[in-house]
Amino acid sequence: MFNKLEKVLMPAATKLGSNRILIAIRDGFLITTPLIIVASIFLLIANFPIPGWSEFWANYFGNGWESWFTNVSRAVFNTVGFFTCFSTAYAYARQIKSDAIQAAASALVAFLILTPTKMIVDGLKEPVDGVLDMEYLGTNGIFLGLIVAFIAVIIYDFVYKRGWTIKMPDGVPPAVAQSFEALIPSAFVIMVFFFIRILFGMTGFETLHNFIYQILQVPLKGAGNTLMAQIIYGFACTIFWFFGINGPAVANSVFAPITKVLTMENLDAFQNGHKLPNIFTDPFSNFFTNFGGGGSTLSLVIVMLLVCKSERIKQLGKLAIVPGFFGINEPIIFGLPIVLNPILLVPFNLVPLINLLLSTLVTKIGIIPYTNGVALPWTTPIGFSGYLSTGSLWASVYQILLLILGCLIYYPFIKTLDKQYLKEEHDAKMEKVENISFDDLTNDDLNFI
Amino acid sequence: MMEILIVLDQIQAGLGGTEHGDLPLGGKKIALGAADMFDKYLNKDEKITTTLFCGDEYYMKNKNEVSLKLAAMINKLKPDAVICGPAFHYVEYAEMCAQTGAIVSEKTNIPVVAAMSKECSDVIKEYSNKVDIVKMPRKGGTGLSESLQDIIDVCRKKVNGDDLNEFKEIKIY
Repeated sequence: MFNKLEKVLMPAATKLGSNRILIAIRDGFLITTPLIIVASIFLLIANFPIPGWSEFWANYFGNGWESWFTNVSRAVFNTVGFFTCFSTAYAYARQIKSDAIQAAASALVAFLILTPTKMIVDGLKEPVDGVLDMEYLGTNGIFLGLIVAFIAVIIYDFVYKRGWTIKMPDGVPPAVAQSFEALIPSAFVIMVFFFIRILFGMTGFETLHNFIYQILQVPLKGAGNTLMAQIIYGFACTIFWFFGINGPAVANSVFAPITKVLTMENLDAFQNGHKLPNIFTDPFSNFFTNFGGGGSTLSLVIVMLLVCKSERIKQLGKLAIVPGFFGINEPIIFGLPIVLNPILLVPFNLVPLINLLLSTLVTKIGIIPYTNGVALPWTTPIGFSGYLSTGSLWASVYQILLLILGCLIYYPFIKTLDKQYLKEEHDAKMEKVENISFDDLTNDDLNFI
Repeated sequence: MMEILIVLDQIQAGLGGTEHGDLPLGGKKIALGAADMFDKYLNKDEKITTTLFCGDEYYMKNKNEVSLKLAAMINKLKPDAVICGPAFHYVEYAEMCAQTGAIVSEKTNIPVVAAMSKECSDVIKEYSNKVDIVKMPRKGGTGLSESLQDIIDVCRKKVNGDDLNEFKEIKIY
């Protein structure tokens, strides 16, 4: 069965893992991730989930002190679509060995060409002209940002690699020569998006932003926002790990753009004091289904430390427990190992699945609140992460219950493995022990009577 | 260091179940299987260093040869003390323990103790005056830890040449 499974999964994994567009999306998000995490810390300080927090600091710094911090978080969160366009274009151009920074810059301009420059302001009859509405640069711009990034880079690269560039004579400094080389490819990109803007201006959508949002982002987001999509995502993550492939890295290339949008929407609602709209956000996935790393292996490590007798497992448990609290489980994945280990395949898939189903249920019936979308580092330890991502202590308690449930599920399987390893260790030890052979008894020995 | 040798059947040695009753005589210079049960009753300077084992069926087919060879090997290895058992209620194993213990007791100066439950009454009747047989419960019965402590205590007293009278009647058949 494992061979068959491997035959199906390996090509799919290789294909997904080597697809330049998917790699570019993944790497593009990686460029924005540090900014989002830093901004999240600022946001968290402004909105720390303790009652009276805001009032307490207002005594020292005055009302509105939060805006010092939200100025920083807004600078990142309200421009995330814009930056995704830039970072993805850069990552993709780097992939295809084009002029990465120039191609990314032209993608950014293309994105802005398409962005509406009229804004409706409360109290004014006519829309204000010549301004950029941050609404289009933030979460709502992620999908368009991705599409623009790829189209712009493809056009840029097409022109650039055909040599349709202005060549400067030798002796001109390289920076100047490169700048001229970028001129014609950039002009092509700008021309194409110039016409696109005009074309969409003639339709009822008015701008491509509106078109994309209505045609693509809403349905896609809807598909990603279902339990079934989450089950598929979770299963993909763990099954890829089983074959030694970083599951989330593969699956995220497909799912991350969707969950990112869902997360950002919650954050937006949280900031504005609205009802949180989505369950399946990144924090939900990180802290309520896969805490302790893929497969929720923190439970496994605890069981390894508490009940296993084999030296190999005990030592590994000691090494893996601290990283495990921070969601890093590579020592277990490759050390135990989980990779290609049929005994652990079942719980490794089952635990996150049960976590997902239970967490969805308790969130829906309101035992724990929806996650607020604050992008806590995925390394935030269990207990803290539940509280910080929802503002509810019940969520922390619930996480601990999930951790215990995970221990119970992992228990019989790791015990089986423990027995197997114990036997191996015992056999290895016994081989070294001196045997006593009764064939060595001489007649003298037997005649002691 | 008091070095103890233990005699086990295939089940207690952890070398298989009843289906491995045909296991021939063998031994290892290590505490095997049930020998580990004594760990917490031993002092720091006491250790089970050797395990001799034999399948119960094999013993039943070659009773005299097996017990003689076991006794000969014990005499050759010269441990400080010997524990034959714990045999629980397994009659064949109990007989192997008693017969071997009796030979060692009679023919050498090595202190030896056997242990079995009252279910092995015929064996106890035949050998209780030839070797010290410590009382113990049947498998799964209550009082196991107490009897393990007794086995070690009797061993220790015999090694030290102490008086066993207080043990007789209560702890020994």
